[in-house]
Amino acid sequence: MFWQQLINGLTLGFTYALIALGYTMVYGIIQLINFAHGEIFMMGAFFALLLVTVFQLNIFVAMILAMAFCMLLGVIIEFVAYRPLRKSGRLSALISAIGVSIFLSTLALLLFGADAKGFPDNSFPVTQFKIGSATVSSLQLLIFGVSSFLMLALEFIVHKTKLGKAMRATSQDYNTAALMGINVNWIISFTFALGSSLAAAGGVLVGLYFNAVNWNMGLMAGLKAFAAAVLGGIGSIPGAMLGGVFLGVAEVFGVAAGFSSFRDAIAFAILVLVLFIKPTGFFGLKIQKKV
Amino acid sequence: MNLRKSGVFLLVAVLIFLMVAGIGQTKESVVKIGFLGALTGDVAMYGQPTLLGMKMAAEKINKSGGVNQAKIVIVEADNRGDKQEAASIVQKFISRDKVAAIVGDPTTGITKVAAPICERNRVVLLSAGATGTGVVELGKYIFRDTLLDTVAVPALVDYFTKNLGYKKVAVITSDNNDYSVGLTQVFKNAVKGKSLEIITEEKVKDGDKDFSAQITNIKAKNPDIIFFSGYYTEGALIMKEARKQGLKICLFGGDGLYSPTLISLGGAAIEGSMVYVGFSPEQPTPETAKFIQEFKAQNKGQVPGLFETQGYDAVMILAEAMKRAKSNVPTKFRNEVARTKNFKGVSGTITFQANQEPVKSPVYLLEVKNGQYALKAKVPVSIK
Amino acid sequence: MGELLQASLNWIDPYILQILVNIGIAIILALGLNLITGLTGQLSLGHAAFLSIGAFSSAILTIKLGIPFSLNIVASGLIAACFGVLIGFPTLRLSGDYLAIATLGFAEIIKVVFLNLDITNRALGLSVPLPNTPIPLPIYVWAIAILTIAAMCFIQNSRFGRALQAIREDEIAAEAMGINATRYKIQAFAIGAFFAGVGGAFYAHFIAYINPSDFAFLKSVDILNMVVLGGLGSIPGTVLGASVLTVAPEFLRFMQQYRMLVYGALLVFMMIFRPNGLLGGVSFRRLVWKAMGKLPAGGR
Repeated sequence: MFWQQLINGLTLGFTYALIALGYTMVYGIIQLINFAHGEIFMMGAFFALLLVTVFQLNIFVAMILAMAFCMLLGVIIEFVAYRPLRKSGRLSALISAIGVSIFLSTLALLLFGADAKGFPDNSFPVTQFKIGSATVSSLQLLIFGVSSFLMLALEFIVHKTKLGKAMRATSQDYNTAALMGINVNWIISFTFALGSSLAAAGGVLVGLYFNAVNWNMGLMAGLKAFAAAVLGGIGSIPGAMLGGVFLGVAEVFGVAAGFSSFRDAIAFAILVLVLFIKPTGFFGLKIQKKV
Repeated sequence: MNLRKSGVFLLVAVLIFLMVAGIGQTKESVVKIGFLGALTGDVAMYGQPTLLGMKMAAEKINKSGGVNQAKIVIVEADNRGDKQEAASIVQKFISRDKVAAIVGDPTTGITKVAAPICERNRVVLLSAGATGTGVVELGKYIFRDTLLDTVAVPALVDYFTKNLGYKKVAVITSDNNDYSVGLTQVFKNAVKGKSLEIITEEKVKDGDKDFSAQITNIKAKNPDIIFFSGYYTEGALIMKEARKQGLKICLFGGDGLYSPTLISLGGAAIEGSMVYVGFSPEQPTPETAKFIQEFKAQNKGQVPGLFETQGYDAVMILAEAMKRAKSNVPTKFRNEVARTKNFKGVSGTITFQANQEPVKSPVYLLEVKNGQYALKAKVPVSIK
Repeated sequence: MGELLQASLNWIDPYILQILVNIGIAIILALGLNLITGLTGQLSLGHAAFLSIGAFSSAILTIKLGIPFSLNIVASGLIAACFGVLIGFPTLRLSGDYLAIATLGFAEIIKVVFLNLDITNRALGLSVPLPNTPIPLPIYVWAIAILTIAAMCFIQNSRFGRALQAIREDEIAAEAMGINATRYKIQAFAIGAFFAGVGGAFYAHFIAYINPSDFAFLKSVDILNMVVLGGLGSIPGTVLGASVLTVAPEFLRFMQQYRMLVYGALLVFMMIFRPNGLLGGVSFRRLVWKAMGKLPAGGR
């Protein structure tokens, strides 16, 4: 049973990690808690669902299109709701993000109705594999595979490409980066596009795995992913990944141990505890306050 | 001159307005019924269908001449599932719209917020969905038209042990859902002293998507059946997870599970699972068959669920009571509502007891078969 | 006297009265958060937790002990304040967004704990009786709301309030000036929690039924919106923000299900056009001085 629960936990954790990555990237670059991120995740899931059910597309094609769609959505949101506020207080941007979040979730409610919708059973062939006493499904393997691939790709973009260098420069010092000839606006848009596409991928995988997509799935997923990002050290890509996986596994083991009624408390209690011991999370850098 | 001209014009305009208003008043006599429920927010999936059912009922009544020469008008407002807002809405319904009755809320919590206000102002509140305890006790004007779990569950437990031979049951409760917490208590009381044994208990939460850990736990205990006291979305997902993990047993639960969405979401995983309801479209009475047909025609072939039928019945019960009382004043028709007996509604046959609690008999046990609800058994309940 | 007050209230449309009470409660809650977030600059995303603690304390005290309502309000506030200190001690070492997520986490934990306690009746919630007080509730709420406004004005201009503002502007500089930032932050947190507790007590008795799920993340966000929309750190701004956001859903009602869509868009547009809130940066004293034609040189 231990191994089964571990697999359960890893699956949940990888989906948290995918959403957490977007949080971490956006936070790293403009220090904004992007509360609308969970809603982008939800929108991605709905868009793919629409493509699969109405246009009968293959799930992988749908996933890529959903990622593209959410890229656009993320860029638009940044342009409309965050860019005008870049010079104002951070709290104003936060409220703006909350406004976007309310707007998008209500929009989804109006467009898709209040009830949860599921992907058709045949959209992805699920087969079970036995590993010792535990079973793992092809869908779970897909989640592990896609998430790992996307995270590696992201790590590559951020650390090995010129674009990534520009992103890192922008996140360190916005003004200096601009002075060095980096088109900061473009880099920020790019970051939103990247983060949003990861959220969309997460949305499609979650929708496929749990077989339910509904308009309010973004809020809790977003909060948990945010917690995961902070746990790993906000701004750090391996941190977000580790934080997500850690939270997912901890939650599942907590439930397995009989604390199912305290499920959400487990995630947040771990977060709060870690913050007390190491206020910057697992991989967060200690920011020296300048005097 | 100019001034005089405009003065005359104004006078004429006022006269015309008064005439129109006067005509409107004498001819268009209306009786207003308020809809209390959520159209947006987390519980919108119960509010929206309730309103749909209510509107259909009102339309039907109005087509056949209304009640006591008055047309029924449904006054709607969205409370988002927020209690503070619901309280304001109830107050607005009463003092601004002057409603004769309020239907709703589908959830127990908001019904409890609305009840004291309605009772104070002597307006009939008929909840189409509240199943929790301590609702109708809140006042003489408070009613509900739902199937009471305290009545249905003991009868079902007997049926399960005697006819189906179940011995071990795993109970899943949705922790942040008052309906579910209440129903689990009812179920626990009902199995006391019976041969059905609760071998494990798990908690989930409304809005959860991941039930893997709970199912793995249940699988290890090997029960005969799962009792889930929550709503259909989580119910479908629980069974999906169970099938994913290779668990063969079925699920059963109350009318909170009864919805076409249970099947559309659960797919093959939900086959064989059972729900008990106060009505069954698969065992139609003449009224139900007609209702389902009309509903489908109006809503692009959509099959009505529980909340649609309860909303529909609520308006019908009120209209019947008004007709019998020959009055649309709540203080006058309140007694007639209380006297509702063997009302052949589309959600079941409804009788209000002396303590205002409804009884719906018999209870239908439905089983999901080939992607449809099929009647498994009619379980008679005893009315004390 | 009670009857007289009640009679005077009968002249007001009950619907208006209901909204007025909601505004009064919102003002008490928002001013408490304004002290923490607006004045001290500590972002809290868990204010609903204190509201919840106050509401349940008051409900339980009334149901189990039946103590007088006035005592009840103070007790609920104090209990919430104790929790404020308890939560503030560890979390306030954190800064900025880490504090935000920690308070959010605590609010979620408190909600889940309340959902599992027998004394709060789990998810079934508690029906709360009307308060046993001769003064009608609407007048009571507004009396306390006005008292809160007065108290906040006093705090803001006191030595304590200036220390809080110093912390908001620059914590390190404030510490260098000999301000014990942690102590002041915890005190601010406790006072904010106290008012949330008081507001919670009124909420519980006014709504007559409470449930742990009512005090979720979005409730905290609602209160934060009031503070930020009105103008961070501004007392008239917070009062205005609380009033506007309480009344807004009623005015937007004609839009039916599109209402929340508009509400979300409005939040974004408000922030873009008034990033510092409706009354952010507006000093009333200065306006009054100006109107009287004696603007003190350089003073604010």
